[in-house]
Amino acid sequence: MARNLRHLNVGGIALLVALAALWQLAVGASLIDLDYLPAPTEVVQAGVEQVEAGALVTATLHTLGVALAAWLIALVLGVALGLLLGFSAAARMVFTTSVEVLRTLPVVAFVPVAVLVFGLSTRMEVVVAAWAALWPIVINTLGGVEAVPARLHEVAAVFRLSGARRIRSIVLPAAAPLILVGARLGLSFALIVAVVAEMIGNPQGLGHLVIRTQQALRTEAMFAGILVIGLLGVALNAALLALTARAAPDMFEPGKRS
Amino acid sequence: MNVSARMETPALMARDVPQPAAGEQRALGYSCHAVGVSLPGPQGSRKVLAGVDLEVAGGEVVSIVGRSGTGKTTLLRVLGGLLPADEGTVLLGEQAVSGPPASAVTVFQDYARALLPWRTVRRNVALGLEGRRACGRAERERLVADALDAVGLGGRGDDRPWRLSGGMQQRVQIARALALRPRVLLMDEPFGALDAMTKASLQDELLAVHARTAPTIVFVTHDVDEAVYLGDRVLILDGQPGAITDEVPVSLPRPRDQLTTKEHPTFLSLRHRVHDAVGGAHGA
Amino acid sequence: MNVRRQLVRLTGLLPLALLLGAWELLASADDPYFPPPSSWWVAVRRLSELGTLLPAIRATAETFALALAVAVVAGSLLGLAIGALPAMRSVTSPLVEFSRTMPPPAVVPMAALLIGLGRTMAVTVVVFAAVWPIVLNTAEAVRSLPAVLLETARALHLSRRARITKVLGPALVPGLLLGVRVATPLCVIVTLLVEMLTGAPGIGSLLVQAQRNFISAQAFGLLIVVGIFGFLINTGVAALEQRVLRAWPPTARAR
Repeated sequence: MARNLRHLNVGGIALLVALAALWQLAVGASLIDLDYLPAPTEVVQAGVEQVEAGALVTATLHTLGVALAAWLIALVLGVALGLLLGFSAAARMVFTTSVEVLRTLPVVAFVPVAVLVFGLSTRMEVVVAAWAALWPIVINTLGGVEAVPARLHEVAAVFRLSGARRIRSIVLPAAAPLILVGARLGLSFALIVAVVAEMIGNPQGLGHLVIRTQQALRTEAMFAGILVIGLLGVALNAALLALTARAAPDMFEPGKRS
Repeated sequence: MNVSARMETPALMARDVPQPAAGEQRALGYSCHAVGVSLPGPQGSRKVLAGVDLEVAGGEVVSIVGRSGTGKTTLLRVLGGLLPADEGTVLLGEQAVSGPPASAVTVFQDYARALLPWRTVRRNVALGLEGRRACGRAERERLVADALDAVGLGGRGDDRPWRLSGGMQQRVQIARALALRPRVLLMDEPFGALDAMTKASLQDELLAVHARTAPTIVFVTHDVDEAVYLGDRVLILDGQPGAITDEVPVSLPRPRDQLTTKEHPTFLSLRHRVHDAVGGAHGA
Repeated sequence: MNVRRQLVRLTGLLPLALLLGAWELLASADDPYFPPPSSWWVAVRRLSELGTLLPAIRATAETFALALAVAVVAGSLLGLAIGALPAMRSVTSPLVEFSRTMPPPAVVPMAALLIGLGRTMAVTVVVFAAVWPIVLNTAEAVRSLPAVLLETARALHLSRRARITKVLGPALVPGLLLGVRVATPLCVIVTLLVEMLTGAPGIGSLLVQAQRNFISAQAFGLLIVVGIFGFLINTGVAALEQRVLRAWPPTARAR
């Protein structure tokens, strides 16, 4: 971990800082002739004002709440469905093609439909975001179950482990890496779709804030909102990674799995 | 322990086989008749084994040798209840085998895939005991510790399997089997993936375990030397479909030793005989 | 055997078919929330008759294709640079990660402001979102090139140009194609997204219009159109990938 910090500190963050500085200079020196491009300092200032006014915090909490709620629902349903498909050949036969069809439907296209069915509400947001997060979780859980080496199933048979114990002690731990990949994807999809839903449907949250400030031509505030959305995405992803690293510190040979 | 050093007598006498201590259950043996197995193949169903007759006495060490593709692993899986026989009968003790029997444990060749990488060595060894209602936690820990000591890994309980060498990982798998105090050990080329020196030391450890607790051991291998060194009898599996085509009683004294036993003239002649039987005439 | 497998796959459609069938039977024709599937077909056909459907599909397809092409070129070059130079990789890593995880809907208003509305902005946004799988997969392919391969090329005294076109290039194709395969549905989604958020011509804006006009049947119908569109594109790309990778051993083709 410390090694990673040292790594990023030198090159990567330097680049980000350099870019931000360049941006600041370019706008300040009027090098870029874009009427609406604010300088980074202005963006930060607007962000601070928004926070003080409470709007930014409320919006962030709303979007965050929706994304997390949708993700948790998708996690429970998705893992269950993935396990079912993984274990039951009959279920696979009946559901696989339908799952294939449903999961390849572009998720954003569901937002207008969801607005029509559920109205302009937070419930609509959560439903459509959960739908978006569901599929990567199902697919990856199924993949994880299928990736359990056949040998481990035989070990479970040799030691006559019961069904529940087999799932708990062997299948879930073995499938965990892939399930976690699915969970991370699901979380990012949930966030994206929540923001979209806020932009064209529910007038709440960060998505709506960005649209609102855009229409009011308050570009610094808009940029601040966009920045917060980006940071939210990074933070959620990093949090999930850190959580799983903590839970299983040396689970596998280091470097073997991503 | 009741082993007499008989160098000339070829026949195996019941009292040569180490018997379990008084009060423990009698060792279990196999009795198989006319066993046949077909497996799905690229061109439809393929008969892998046919007309296999096999008797293993309780407490005996039986090696099964054969060239690649003769169905050795298939036979072991049938004995272990991992694969049902399509024809014939397979009895363990007096019970027909259907599904992995409670008194038998199979040890696989690919130890890396048979161990749970997310568990410590200790918890891996405990896997088979966890389901057992009758076994309390203190008892379980004792059995695990005993098993680890038996394979010489007493101090490595908290390591992760993937940190250990191949030989040690295989020992963990064996310890996992031993923790259950099985009456039957089924081993599918367990030392095949190991280097010669590790193989030799594991062979001796296995013999030591057998001398102590006398489980019935069925040991599949393609290594003729190993088969003769370990076994009380060597069975040759040959033919397409495979069947037991020959049987070589091993009249070498126990305890066996890597150097002295292998220099024994009887060892050399037995080895020669098994080699001939395996690589010799095609079909019975 | 093949026919049987197809039949088995068709049985997998049973739940969907049952759902749609039940929906058709249970919903009344003028239900504002859940119009029956038959009404969807009617609504879409009406759009087509009005002459709005086909141009919209074409607009979406054009934006998508252009964006994918740019993403492939830009992504492979960037991926090459990142994969070949470890210093480059560590320096650009935070920036790449941030850009990669930036939700595309947040990029649209910014791009609209800076570039204005129109195809350039749309393509830029789609490329910004979808280029990363190509970058990362190409970089990974470069990183895992066996050293032996390049040494062989030099040992055979191949010119630099020959080394690139005959050895390096082909070696990177499977990784690149994997990135393209992942990027394609992403391109479709973000193209639709841009249309939905900015009203640019395309299926996406038709969808939002249906939503704003409260025509549920049209929205559902367009959803199906989107699905078919996406399916055709994915199948096309998969077929292309199969064709190109025919010469490679099966292990090179990732799933």
